[in-house]
Amino acid sequence: MKLSDKAWSPYVAGVLIGLLQIPAFLLINTALGTSSSYVTAAGTLASVADPVITQIDYVAKHLSGAKNWWQVALVIGIAVGAFFSSRLSGMQRPSVSPVWSKALGTGSLSVRMVLAFISGFLLLMGARIADGCTSGHGISGLAQLALSSFVTVGCMFAGGMIVALFLRKI
Amino acid sequence: MSVLNAIIIGLLMGIVFGFALEKSRVFEPGMIVGQMQLRNFTMLKVFLTAVITGLVVIGLMHGFFGGKLHPKALLYGANIFGGLMLGAGITLAGGCPGTVLAQIGAGYKDSWLVLLGGLAGALTFSYLEPTLKPILLSGGPGKLTLDTVTDVPFWVLAFGFAIVLVIVLVALERWRPWQADLGANYDGMNE
Repeated sequence: MKLSDKAWSPYVAGVLIGLLQIPAFLLINTALGTSSSYVTAAGTLASVADPVITQIDYVAKHLSGAKNWWQVALVIGIAVGAFFSSRLSGMQRPSVSPVWSKALGTGSLSVRMVLAFISGFLLLMGARIADGCTSGHGISGLAQLALSSFVTVGCMFAGGMIVALFLRKI
Repeated sequence: MSVLNAIIIGLLMGIVFGFALEKSRVFEPGMIVGQMQLRNFTMLKVFLTAVITGLVVIGLMHGFFGGKLHPKALLYGANIFGGLMLGAGITLAGGCPGTVLAQIGAGYKDSWLVLLGGLAGALTFSYLEPTLKPILLSGGPGKLTLDTVTDVPFWVLAFGFAIVLVIVLVALERWRPWQADLGANYDGMNE
């Protein structure tokens, strides 16, 4: 197992991700999560154009403090880590994954771009309504035996599988 | 903890997270769509291994050293509706709010639009939150965890659940070795 390998076992990756709970709990006093960083980032950007947004309690409590900015840094770090990992293995990716032309039945770039935006909107609308995503409810919530996370994760896989029925078989 | 220290720790943890997502190939849209069509099991393997590891370390930290848990409130309507919407987004994005950043780092350009859509979604939710709160986001029985409703010690349940999930993964791996799901170009696509 080397940093220049193109692929590691999913079990090694899973253990690494799970071990990140230790610094999250002990240093930041929180569990691993990613989706509330979008509220911090979007709220900060939006407050420039619409300062009134900071009067919404939900936004205000996401704008400052170590925990919120820790999570923004975490997701930026994910991009940095994936960038270096792919460079170390010489992995080149096309602009768009070939899965999309197959699953959507069209190679149209505009179709993919519209769908990508909508998918991102659904991801964060859904994650914020449920109060967590694959990390916060999935990885962290199940590991804390939280009942809300068992419900959310079950529905997450159900929703994903229902939508996948409408895509072409890859 | 100062904000600056928290940011440094966050960056370092994120880099490890990003490495794990890239090396395991779980950030690939092909792996996620494949998982949701039950043709590829990489996502389930990474996900359940992270849960198992979390159960063990949180079982130790909470069960033996008094570390505080951070569970989320049980709100059936919000958890069910939000979970379904999140799942729909995962399939159409080929990723989730965290892995979309790994897609960007690894070079997928459409993932920038997923990120932009995500920021728009978070902003829309922020404006709607005061309206949604009385309808969907309040009430409920609170931040329940399995140990408090069953009266069994947390570490017993955590370690027991971890053992069950290990057995599931061993069976899954015997049935389908992880290398079989990589694809010729490491993107989860098999032909």
